[in-house]
Amino acid sequence: MTFEIRVRTAILEAFARTGVAPSPAAVAEWLGSDVTAVRAAWDRLREGRAIVTGEDGVSIRMANPFSGVPTEHTFESAGVRYYANCAWDALGIPAALGRGGTVRSHCANSGEPLRLEVTGAGPDPCGWLFHSLVPAARWWDDIVFT
Amino acid sequence: MLFFRSEDDLRAWCRERAVEPGPAVPVPQLWRLSRVWYGNRLDPDVPRPTPAAARAIFAGVGLTGAFWDPVPRQE
Repeated sequence: MTFEIRVRTAILEAFARTGVAPSPAAVAEWLGSDVTAVRAAWDRLREGRAIVTGEDGVSIRMANPFSGVPTEHTFESAGVRYYANCAWDALGIPAALGRGGTVRSHCANSGEPLRLEVTGAGPDPCGWLFHSLVPAARWWDDIVFT
Repeated sequence: MLFFRSEDDLRAWCRERAVEPGPAVPVPQLWRLSRVWYGNRLDPDVPRPTPAAARAIFAGVGLTGAFWDPVPRQE
């Protein structure tokens, strides 16, 4: 396993444990590594679209399906609240974690709240729809907007 | 990427913004996509999907057509 993949995995595992984005220093400590090396891997992960950083180039904005900033799409499980980047990722988080919990979001038009229980068998019956305005080929033109 | 409670809500939202709606994906189909796309995301041995893999994943859950093609078409 390359160092870059170890860093990527540590980032995702930190999100999975806590629901919160880790810092390079926290990942370096977790891996028993040097923070400069972790920062270099951070940059490569950003270039490879494994993470999206904030304006400071360091704080993690997105490590799909997890969001490093609060959003209107959440998943709660085992006492942890996870923020999702979008409606898709709200289901992506339970899929990634492999455990059940509660998805919360809302209808973009009416504002009606969505509360969706998810178990190992999947979400409860639900007639709601998911919609992307942007076609797949252009998602990364502006991934935060997408 | 948003949720809508109905087709009517989706159409109204798009009409208000003068945009054409894309495909509407029912929640059960989105779950199938999520399981394939993200189900092994924490596995260090599994890379993020390449464009070709992404196309196959979309097709595997019934999402086909130009909208779901992840490779930009040449102008």
